[in-house]
Amino acid sequence: MLETLLPILIFTALALAVIGAVRRIRLWRQGRPSRVNLFQGLVALPRRYLVDLHHVVGRDKMISNTHVATAGGFVAAAVLMTLVHGLGIANPLLGGLLLLASASMFVGSLFVARRRLNPPARLSKGPWMRLPKSLMAFSIGVFLITLPTVGLLPEGLLEGGSSWLLALVLAGVVAWGLGEMFFGMTWGGPMKHAFAGALHLAFHRRAERFSTKKGGVGRSTGLKALNLENEAAPLGVEKPADFTWNQLLGFDACVQCGRCEAVCPAFAAGQPLNPKKLIQDMVVGMAGGSDAAYAGSAYPGKPVGEHAGAPHGPIVALEGKALVDADTLWSCTTCRACVEECPMMIEHVDAIVDMRRHLTLERGKTPNKGAEVLDNLIATDNPGGFDPGSRLNWAADLNLPLMADLKQVDVLLWLGDGAFDMRNQRTLRALVKVLRAAEVDFAVLGAEERDSGDVARRLGDEATFQSLAKRNIATLAKYRFQQIVTCDPHSFHVLGNEYGELGGNYEVYHHSTFIAELYDAGRLAFAPWKGGSVTYHDPCYLGRYNGEYEAPRRVLKALGIKVNEMERSGFRSRCCGGGGGAPITDIPGERRIPDMRMNDVKESGAELVAVGCPQCTAMLEGVVDASAEVRDIAELVADALVERPAGNASGGSQGTAEMITAEEAIV
Amino acid sequence: MRPDQQQKQQQQGIDVAVLVSIGRHPTTGRARRAEQDARGLELALSMEAELPGTRISMLHAGPQGDGSEAALRGYLGMATGVGMGLESMTLLEQPEGSDAIPALAAHLAATSPQLVITGARAERGEGSGLLPYALAEHLGWPLVNSLASVEKVENGVVTLLQALPRGQRRRLKVRLPAIISVDEAAPAARQSAFGPARRATFAITPTTPEADSELAQWHLAPARKRPKRLKIVKAASARDRFKAAASKAEGKGGQVLTDVTPEQGAEAIYKLLKEEEVLR
Repeated sequence: MLETLLPILIFTALALAVIGAVRRIRLWRQGRPSRVNLFQGLVALPRRYLVDLHHVVGRDKMISNTHVATAGGFVAAAVLMTLVHGLGIANPLLGGLLLLASASMFVGSLFVARRRLNPPARLSKGPWMRLPKSLMAFSIGVFLITLPTVGLLPEGLLEGGSSWLLALVLAGVVAWGLGEMFFGMTWGGPMKHAFAGALHLAFHRRAERFSTKKGGVGRSTGLKALNLENEAAPLGVEKPADFTWNQLLGFDACVQCGRCEAVCPAFAAGQPLNPKKLIQDMVVGMAGGSDAAYAGSAYPGKPVGEHAGAPHGPIVALEGKALVDADTLWSCTTCRACVEECPMMIEHVDAIVDMRRHLTLERGKTPNKGAEVLDNLIATDNPGGFDPGSRLNWAADLNLPLMADLKQVDVLLWLGDGAFDMRNQRTLRALVKVLRAAEVDFAVLGAEERDSGDVARRLGDEATFQSLAKRNIATLAKYRFQQIVTCDPHSFHVLGNEYGELGGNYEVYHHSTFIAELYDAGRLAFAPWKGGSVTYHDPCYLGRYNGEYEAPRRVLKALGIKVNEMERSGFRSRCCGGGGGAPITDIPGERRIPDMRMNDVKESGAELVAVGCPQCTAMLEGVVDASAEVRDIAELVADALVERPAGNASGGSQGTAEMITAEEAIV
Repeated sequence: MRPDQQQKQQQQGIDVAVLVSIGRHPTTGRARRAEQDARGLELALSMEAELPGTRISMLHAGPQGDGSEAALRGYLGMATGVGMGLESMTLLEQPEGSDAIPALAAHLAATSPQLVITGARAERGEGSGLLPYALAEHLGWPLVNSLASVEKVENGVVTLLQALPRGQRRRLKVRLPAIISVDEAAPAARQSAFGPARRATFAITPTTPEADSELAQWHLAPARKRPKRLKIVKAASARDRFKAAASKAEGKGGQVLTDVTPEQGAEAIYKLLKEEEVLR
């Protein structure tokens, strides 16, 4: 009986899965076009899955091994089962492999079940709670029906008249497993992540974020430019169908593991944002309906079930409620912690900025100080509305060389808007002292410099960003320099990663990287560190955005400081709350993000926290009753500077031969 | 006006014309939407939200050009959302240095809006703040300056809240049509959005330019910073200093007229103006 029933079951499930897949693909295709090389993407899929995705999943070894056993077992079992039981190729070798695959899957599913016994808050419940049972049903069912095939059980056992009941029960178990694994995969069950996830990896909007065999960096963090020339092109995303099709596909790939939720600073601060819920809301919007079925943590302060949307309905309502409230979108600090943690490589920040662009460019609804800051950027080229001519007032006594006079230098020192901020002026003065001590040939743009456009862009004002960027690019084109050095990671990121699309390609250094190279070249000498214990706070735009975790630590080591790392450091560093225009939009929460970060500092026991970003300095210094002092790396370096040992023209403790090569690398 | 017409008017809201000029940023001197004119448009937009059927038209007199266009689009970008009906601005085209008043007065007389809103003072050009008064004189309409809000429109009478110094407010009832001018007392202008600003169009109406003959005779020079006389406050206590800073300047002399007929009041004012040689 099973011999006739199984092929019917398998091929019905497969046929239903194909119908579901077509329906799902039609949902994605509601999105706007996006140019992706489909063939190349599919070819790259195995590598993207096995290397890049597992690099992220592998941060949690238990889950990584569980997934290898379960998913690997399932894929093998599904193929073999179709051959053995569907097409009736009763080869004992194939049968043996099928037994092995289903056994592996069963072991994996035991671990899945164990994790679901007492699941952490970040995991979604609902249908996900039945998944381990379905996995077991599938693996046990397949295992048992395969036993007779390989002759481990007498062939007749399931065929005798008395055992029809047993056969029926087995068929039922297999049908349950097939229902979840084949049918559920394309009709919106938990297994949807496998189908959508595989295609999402293949057709990812940022193909360049994946590593390549040749050893590509695999980083792509710059926001994509809006086409402002074409007046018909929409300005940002108003409705779910305004996303590109592969963004919609990406939302569908979410496994609701909640790793993003666990690292999101806004969620931890009780602001109304949860990256996981946001992605699920986009899935709801793409298919149409309400968020009532969502079974994970809600946006803090916003109960589930009150919002609904449709593919062609607005995401943020003009009045009342739609799919998402505006304050959810404005809570994001664009720190990319969610993107860094996402095992499915979903791009949360891109989606949030896309929706912000609509709110700012079409509706003029940038909250709180947003409108004022944008008006200032338009009228004065800096967010504070200061006189552009006063950009160098802080350096009146420093006699800074100007690009306009020199025309050609090695290093262009980009000041950033910190030049108007009295705290950051101390950092800038320290940096100038360091550059002079190392005899670097540098100059500044002075009054010709404008805001890099970072804040305007993250607030969704792409028009102002592009206007600032194009004028900065035109200014930079007048002069000749080897590299740009800046103490502002936001300028560093925008100049280095986002001007390229508009025609400005530069070699940009963060000051910590530059100082590290100067030290390695023997152009700086430091007095030994005499202070207390020090920790280092990784700025998001230096670390996660640009992968620079090492240089600042190298500089601190050179100063004789042993960094007392915080629990969350490196790629898991917690945001200071100062990015993405968050201090400007200022969405209320239960706690302040910088307070939480200073608490991290306190727990590390450090008396001083070294930073490398004007925003971080401002946010962390704004913490009341802090246990640690906040100093920029440039300040620490400037304080420790001593005369280079005499006897060598360019000084340095390193050997001359090594020094020359390093010099060449810098100049 | 017949009663039924008035009834209809009450339901439909009124025609509001907002006069907008090209502003100048105080620090950088860049062209922008003028602060006060933008507040005027904000007032009109909030009227539209409360009084459905209010129709807003924007009017600018001046030359057509890239620099001015970007600034004018700043106003058009304020009309976001559905049904604002502000996709266009009437541009009374005239060369630089022409007198805007005759062109505006002729256009307003022809289109006859019930309410004209304008900023109190332009940010470039003469900036004398006389335009609302000159227009009111041309059209023979009442003028209310320093407006805080428009409260309601009923049967051709508008109830206004006028801002007086030190946060005081005065409620006024004015028969339409009327001109109102706004300054810093009016609510701040909303954000201007790029998309609607870019899509908006200009309805260009050529005018017969009248050169500003008086302005042509003037000699214009950049303002010089003048030394400021330090104010010596002779105050013995903190209370005195506070009073000196916060108290209202006491008027000297004059007379308070109460319970007089409008004719008597007008006569008293006429007499005073004669005495002060404002009228000759």
